[in-house]
Order: sequence, then structure tokens, then C-alpha cells
Amino acid sequence: MAATPLHGKWLLALDGSNLPEKSLIGGKGWSIAHMLRQGLPVPPAFVITTEACAAYLETGELPAELDDQLQAAMQWLEEQTGRTYGCGHSPLLVSVRSGAAISMPGMMDTVLNLGINAETMQAFAVESGDDKFARDTYRRFHELYGEIVLRVTVPELGENENLSEWRARIEKAAGQAVPEAPTEQLKATIEAVFRSWTSRRAKRYRKHHGIPDDLGTAVTVQAMVFGNLDQNSGTGVLFSRNPLTGEPVPYGEYLRCAQGEDVVSGKYTPGHLDDMKTAAPDAYKTLIHAAQTLESTNREVQDIEFTVQQGKLYFLQSRTAKRSPAAAVRIAVDMYREGTIGIEDAIRRVNPDQVRSILSPRLGEGVSNGATVLASGLGVSHGIGVGKVVSDADEAERRAHDGEDVVLATATTSPDDVHGMLVARAVITEQGGSTSHAAVVGRALGLPSVVGCGIGTVTSLHGQTVTVDGENGKIYAGALEVVTPCETEDDRLAELLSWAREHSPLTVYRPDEAPRDTLDLESNDDAADPANLPALIKGARGARGGAIASEQGVKAALQAGLEYIVAEPTLPALLAAIHAGGTPEPSPSIEND
Amino acid sequence: MQDLQLVMHGIAVKKYATVDEICSITGLQSDTVKELVGHAVARGRASEANGKYLLTPTGQITLKSAYSKTYGSLRRDEEFVATYQDFERINNDLKQAITEWQTIGIGGQTVANDHSDEAYDSAVIDRIGDIHERVEIILERLGNQEPRLNRYSKKLLSALEKAEDGDIRWVSDATMESYHTVWFELHEDLLRIMGREREEF
Repeated sequence: MAATPLHGKWLLALDGSNLPEKSLIGGKGWSIAHMLRQGLPVPPAFVITTEACAAYLETGELPAELDDQLQAAMQWLEEQTGRTYGCGHSPLLVSVRSGAAISMPGMMDTVLNLGINAETMQAFAVESGDDKFARDTYRRFHELYGEIVLRVTVPELGENENLSEWRARIEKAAGQAVPEAPTEQLKATIEAVFRSWTSRRAKRYRKHHGIPDDLGTAVTVQAMVFGNLDQNSGTGVLFSRNPLTGEPVPYGEYLRCAQGEDVVSGKYTPGHLDDMKTAAPDAYKTLIHAAQTLESTNREVQDIEFTVQQGKLYFLQSRTAKRSPAAAVRIAVDMYREGTIGIEDAIRRVNPDQVRSILSPRLGEGVSNGATVLASGLGVSHGIGVGKVVSDADEAERRAHDGEDVVLATATTSPDDVHGMLVARAVITEQGGSTSHAAVVGRALGLPSVVGCGIGTVTSLHGQTVTVDGENGKIYAGALEVVTPCETEDDRLAELLSWAREHSPLTVYRPDEAPRDTLDLESNDDAADPANLPALIKGARGARGGAIASEQGVKAALQAGLEYIVAEPTLPALLAAIHAGGTPEPSPSIEND
Repeated sequence: MQDLQLVMHGIAVKKYATVDEICSITGLQSDTVKELVGHAVARGRASEANGKYLLTPTGQITLKSAYSKTYGSLRRDEEFVATYQDFERINNDLKQAITEWQTIGIGGQTVANDHSDEAYDSAVIDRIGDIHERVEIILERLGNQEPRLNRYSKKLLSALEKAEDGDIRWVSDATMESYHTVWFELHEDLLRIMGREREEF
């Protein structure tokens, strides 16, 4: 293709006409180009290439010709969107992202809403009919620009504070102003992206991973789309399958007349996808169809963020969906049954921890119905803990040492309670939320934890036996029945088990199937530390007990050439053996955030 | 503060501290700390159990009045107070990042992060790195007026780099000087300098 202002050495418009090299346009630019090639509607964008970065790093200035090319590219964005940058009734706002061919830490975060200033904010308020939103857009731009480009902690904007006074406060903190001129905003942000290539973290990462320093990063400039312009606009998230249950039906949320961050912030309760069907039927049809296409092309469940602007659908991001342990099993088995993936892939998509989580002890069916709830709060670390309530960490340590099961109950926890938490079956507190010390430490220790039950509610339980459910946040009187699910109960789990048995390089017996000459590590204290296992199991045919069924234990067993190990349940150990047995193909991921 | 008060301050920040931990937090030599904790115990300001020290109620009161004397002028210093407030703001970001480290959103519900997704974990560590770059600037400004606080920058960076190199326990493990542990102590230290209480919500 001939060099034009839109297809040159320094700058490339992403118009779907070709798929440039990742090394030239970076991962983020590449995934936009890739989505365009698949025919998906993506907000228009262009890329400033890694070559321009190299030139900037060498000379300390943006290449001279880039000025004209930038102007041409912005004009192109204006034509594509029917909006104008820095002026007019429908102002164009853009986002600026960093993106190297290989993603790495320390690279600049995304700056949103470039192009907003006092003038365009007014136009924007008129167009959206929402003064508050226009002010919010202005605030967000200044906060991001201040934090990311000027690297300063931006002072909080008071609710009724005058905006120019606030700008002056930012200027004072940063030692320089946030530019008012939209072109200046753009150029300074592009330079900041290039500079982030030489940040401490990025340099360190490249050194650690042997990535050449002269690769450089690209910059993606993309038109912002708005889901809050009218009732035909909105924003949402779509999963091509239910990520909680794994059920093969699209699952998602949609919020009319709103921006993406409204859904994420939890400020508003999003509606069901059906609301989108009514409000924006064409966009809905395109969305569902594209989700299926993306899922079958990538052979993975997709998590899609999208915006509808005045009836037109835009994809913001599509990536492999995160899923609950139960959904991981269901999706892996279902996709095999549908013929989308092979058995090996299906097995590799479920990890031992997910299966352990599914098979972890839980309250027996219905036992909580008749139980007395003594207190309830926010469940912040799941699991069931049963024990006697103790309200002091030192006492907890002492009594646990004597073999008693204890539940630590305090007003709040602080670092001096950690020794008590280490030995407790659960922790419950009266004050604090999901980021409180008890929650943070409880999760770090994998300890069932309930926080914020209310003043005086839990320390008064001292001496009682309770059952703590770290998931629903309830504290029940007495020791409730706890059951451990069986790995052959569920038909998909059972199928996965039969595949895993066939593919595992190591046999795993249930205790009742174990041969008689098995090496028993149960009574050997050293065997609880996987690091000691290689010496202990040398020469044995098979082993049981200690840490042998853990991931490291399985690895040690494979290395020592054991024929089998004994475990209950068997599936996590089988999966660990398969995962350790060979290196999996890295799954292709569309990185685009 | 005098060295004895500094040692008591070290105990207070840790709440339940070994000699090594007091050294690490105050920057004093081990011999000095050993001698001074001895004084503190003899005067009924601290007590010892299993090699760990804890302030007595008298010790707490003495220390509080030492803070007012030592930090009275800082508490009235407009610039120091404004910088401290910057820290409180960034503290919310860090708490948020640690929560993201430990929990993961799946289809609108929050579940524990099982650390099986390396890309997710690296992204959170990267965010903590961003926060770190901003807190460094704040700490530098605070350190200009209270040089003792400079120690935290190095300790935070050391934990962060270990986490960046792949040992993820250094993010929030409560049993070691992880990023979160050091940050929590720094926050505690600042609250004491300012004479304020921690807000849990």
C-alpha cells in the first residue's frame, strides 16, 4: 500500500483493510484490527506505530512529519463518527492507550475523554441533556490525565466546586497545568505513553524476560462512544454462556442510557438483557449473533463489553470469560460434547483447585433451614468453619494448641491478631467491610470469614459452639452437619473423571482400592512438607498420606517414577498429574482492554 | 523522638513485636533495641511474652503524650497535613487493589481469587506498581519533614519487586513483610503521627 497520511511509517488508520504486524501496531491495536477483520463493529481508531516510539526515544521528540499525519488521522476519525474534535455541537472525544507487541507491566494506563475542555463540556451537556454527566466527563479526564500523565495525586473535586479553581489546584500540585487545547492534550499523552516504555517496571520486566529494549510501544487512539446520549443508547456486558453455572445460554446485563463505569461501579442496578431486546432490537440481534461467532472462532466462552450509541452497537472488548469452578467443569464437558474441543483440551481447562473447591465441605442439604442464626454479616472468604467462639487471639492460640477447634470473634482485627487467625477455623468481626483487615487476611489464609456483623453481636458469643458460613455470611448456633460432595455424584464431573483416568501419566487409587504394599506417609510428620517427599518416596511403588496428593506431591511422585498414589478425591490429583505431565499449548487470547 | 520513645513507637506500630521487627521498623541497631526494651519493661511501659513485646496501658499513655510533643507542629503544618490527606486518598486505591488481588468478579459475583490466572494477577501487581509510583512521591514529601518515614519507601519497593519477580506471597501475606503488611504499618505510623484513629468501613 502506498504511503499516505493514514498509512505511513509513523501512523496507521485501522480501517479493516489489512492486518498490520503486531510488532508495528502493538497488541491492543492488533486486536482492534482483528475484530474489524471479523466484521465486528468497533469504535474507529488509529495507531501511532512502534517506529515512532523508537524515533521519540532516540531524539526525545515526536517525529516532525507526525504532526500532519495526526491532523489527517483526527480528521478521518471526525468523518467516521460525524463528530468534531475540540469544537462543535457534537464534540469528538478519544481515548489513548499504550500497547507493545508483548504486554508488560509499567506501561501507561488508558486516558479517557481527551478533547474535553470548558467549551466542549458545554456542547456535550446540551447534546446529552445531562449537565452532571458533562461535568463528570470533565472530571474523569482531569483525574486520569493528572494521575497518569502528570503522575500526581489529584485533589478531590468538591460537589459544587468551581472547575477552574479545581484546575488551579491540580496545577499547583503537579507544577504544570492540564492542557486546555485538545491537540496539546493528545500530543502530551502520546509522549507520556512513549516515556512509559522506559519506566522502572517496564525496564525491569524486559530485562527479566529477555525482551529487547528497542521493541517500543505503539499508541492506540480511539473514538469514545457514549451509551448515555438517549434512550436508544446503553451499555452492558454479555457472556456467551452463563459464567456462574456454565449453562449454554447468553448471560449478561444491560443498562439503558448509561456509561460503562455505571455498570461496573454498582451505583445502578443493571437490567436484564431482555430490556436491550426491547430498547435496541437490532443491536441486540447483532450482539447475540456476534457472541456466537466469537465463541466458535475462539473455541472459548467470551466476555464481551459493549455500548449502544443511538441504536448502533459497538464492541469495546472481547476476551475469554472467567468462570466459577462449577461453570468451568460444565463448559469443558459441554464444549467437548458439542464437538468444539477435544478431550485433552477439555481436561486442561479444569484445574485441580477448581475441583477441590467444588468438592469442598459445605452445609448439608437443608440443615440451615431450622438452624438459629446468631449473627450475620458480610461473607468475605468462603468455606465452613465450626468451633467454639473465643474473643481473644492469644486465647485462640492457646486453646487451638490444646487441640480445640476455635472460631475467633473480635470487634475488628489488626496485625496483632494474625497469630490467632492462623489457628482458627473461622474468623468473625463486628465492624469492617470487604476491604477490612479481617477480610484481607482471612482471604489470604483461606479462612472462612464473616465481617461487619454489628457492634456487640459476636464477641458476646464467647464460649458458644457455632458454625460459620463464609459465603452467605451467617453464623449458626451449634455444630451443623457438614457434608463433603462426592466426585462421582455429578454426571459431568464423573465424565471428566473417566477422561482424566485415561489420560493421566499417574494412577490415582481411592483408599479402598489401594494395593497392600503402599508406602504410608500418614504418620510421618516430615511428609506434610512437599519438599521432603522426593527423599521419602524414593524406590516406592506407590504412596499415600502426607502432601502426596497436592500439586507438588504429584510432581514429586511423577519424578520419582511412582506407579500410583492414593488420594480422596482422586480427580484433583489426576488433573495435577496431567497438568504437570506436559506443557500445554498457550491458548490464543485477544487482549484488548 | 528519643530512642526509647522510638522503640516504644516501633512496638506500638507492630503491636506485638520481636527485637528484629523493632529494628526493622525504627532503623535502630539490635544492641540498642535490646537495651531499650529492657528499660521499657523495667519501667512498666512494656511487657514481654515469648520474645515478643507489647506496650502496657501506661506505655500507651506515655507514648501518646510523646507524640503530641514531638508531632504537635507537624499536625499544624498545612503542607504536611495536605500530603497526609493525599496518602489517605491513595490508601483507598491500595485497599481496592488488595481486594482485587484476593477476590475476582465472575459474572457480577465476587469469589476468592485462586491465583490460577496469571494475567489477572500480573495486572493487579502492575496496578500496585502504579500506586507505588504515586505513593513514592507522597513519601518523599512526608520524609522531608519526618525522615524516619523514608524507610517505608525501600521496604515497599523491596516487597513489590519480589512480587513482580513471581513470588506472589509478597503482595498480601500477613505473616511476612509483604507489600500490604508494610503499607498497613506505614498507615498506622502516620495515624499515630497525626493523632488520628483508623476508620474501618
